[in-house]
Amino acid sequence: MSTPGPERVPSTVKVDKTSGQGKPPAAKAAGAKSAGRPGARPQGKGGGKGRKPTAPVKVSGGRNWGPIAVAGVVVLIALGIIGYGVFASIKGTESWQDRAAGIDGVVNYRAQNNPAINSQEHKEGPLTYVTNPPVGGAHNSVWQNCMGDVYPQPIANEHAVHSLEHGAVWVTYKQGLAADQVAKLQEKVQGRDYMLMSPIANLDKNISLQAWGYQLKVDNADDKRIDEFIKALRLNASLEPNAACSSGNTKTGPVEAAAPAGN
Amino acid sequence: MSVSTASSAPAGTPSDDAAPAGRRRFGAAWLAAALAFGLLVGLAIGLLGPRLSTPGDDSVEAGFLRDMSTHHAQAVEMSMIAHANSTNPKVVTLSADIALTQHGQIGYMQAWLRDWHLSPTSSQPPMAWMKDSAGAVQNGLMPGMATPEQLAQLRTATGTALDRQFLTLMRQHHLGGIHMAQEILDESDDADVTWLAESQVRGQQSEINLIDSMLKQLPTS
Repeated sequence: MSTPGPERVPSTVKVDKTSGQGKPPAAKAAGAKSAGRPGARPQGKGGGKGRKPTAPVKVSGGRNWGPIAVAGVVVLIALGIIGYGVFASIKGTESWQDRAAGIDGVVNYRAQNNPAINSQEHKEGPLTYVTNPPVGGAHNSVWQNCMGDVYPQPIANEHAVHSLEHGAVWVTYKQGLAADQVAKLQEKVQGRDYMLMSPIANLDKNISLQAWGYQLKVDNADDKRIDEFIKALRLNASLEPNAACSSGNTKTGPVEAAAPAGN
Repeated sequence: MSVSTASSAPAGTPSDDAAPAGRRRFGAAWLAAALAFGLLVGLAIGLLGPRLSTPGDDSVEAGFLRDMSTHHAQAVEMSMIAHANSTNPKVVTLSADIALTQHGQIGYMQAWLRDWHLSPTSSQPPMAWMKDSAGAVQNGLMPGMATPEQLAQLRTATGTALDRQFLTLMRQHHLGGIHMAQEILDESDDADVTWLAESQVRGQQSEINLIDSMLKQLPTS
């Protein structure tokens, strides 16, 4: 860029301009310049000296509009390209919290700072939770296996909440939901670690998705927000990075009663 | 940009004898514009540079790290079952080796995604980063992965049956893993990713040899 810079443009442009002066020729100059820049180069070299007689002529304000317009266009295009690059790179790396917040209808229970939901305590025996299905809180020391496990029967909240703590997304559906709907959900779960799925008897909506501190309830397995929720929160919502989903409980049914004494 | 400097430079020098005021104003304007533009370019390079020098969200590297994490996680799962339930000291040792190694490697892979400011999750289906991967995924399972039924069987197995199932499933699992690792070695030149993939090919290939010899030593009941 530096080599062509000094010698080339002024000569050609100025010759045009000096003869013209004023706006119409300037526009012409701009066209000639942008189109014929490379071709004009040789001319420019020789013209540098030969022009001097013409150059000193009173050429003021108006004649500079040509280069300004061209440069302005160049700058705008460059800014557009750079701006798009910055936008794309920042958009691609939007934080998971922002992506979760952008999902219509998602409830962020972390923002409530509810001690009953924030507790990560281990407690044996049956526990009560403030939401149905639960999204966090004290839980059993054994987590529910969440290696893409599809449980055909209800599982214990106490185990599932521990899976949420490990970063799993728990897909729940109203027991008795149409088989094709269940099959669509199963497709999103099976074979993917940090996912598990089970029916719930008294669910107020057809489908409810849980991650630690987050919940989304939808009516239909085709709802696009299901995938968005999984993408935003699976693994990302983990409170214990790299905690495993394997070695968990694989049985369905309620949690075992707490041992009678001293645990 | 050179357009501006070019026209402003000659304008600056001869401007002393002709129309100085107007020329100067343009000179200053051009200078300011050039500076502002330079700053913007610098800012953009600063922002984009690190992002462009690491693999992007839809790169083969990111796809590999995500999928191999899931693939490894099942090896950990099977190994932990065998480690807990087997009474064969060789199987207990091998399963611990596999579980610890692969869980550690998941940590590497997840950490790189994090370093690259990428999510550990993707909306892409499994194996989408691989060429001709259509059909490689069955019921959401990548090559070599055990089915839920096989895992359920493994959980309840004991004795030699457990050892045999574990070794057979892990052999299959390693073959699938090596296939994926070789694919990323073909497609990527990222130093970290290829370093790990090479170690996976080497390590799992030698473990397959070990598994074959262990399978032969199992009592035929």
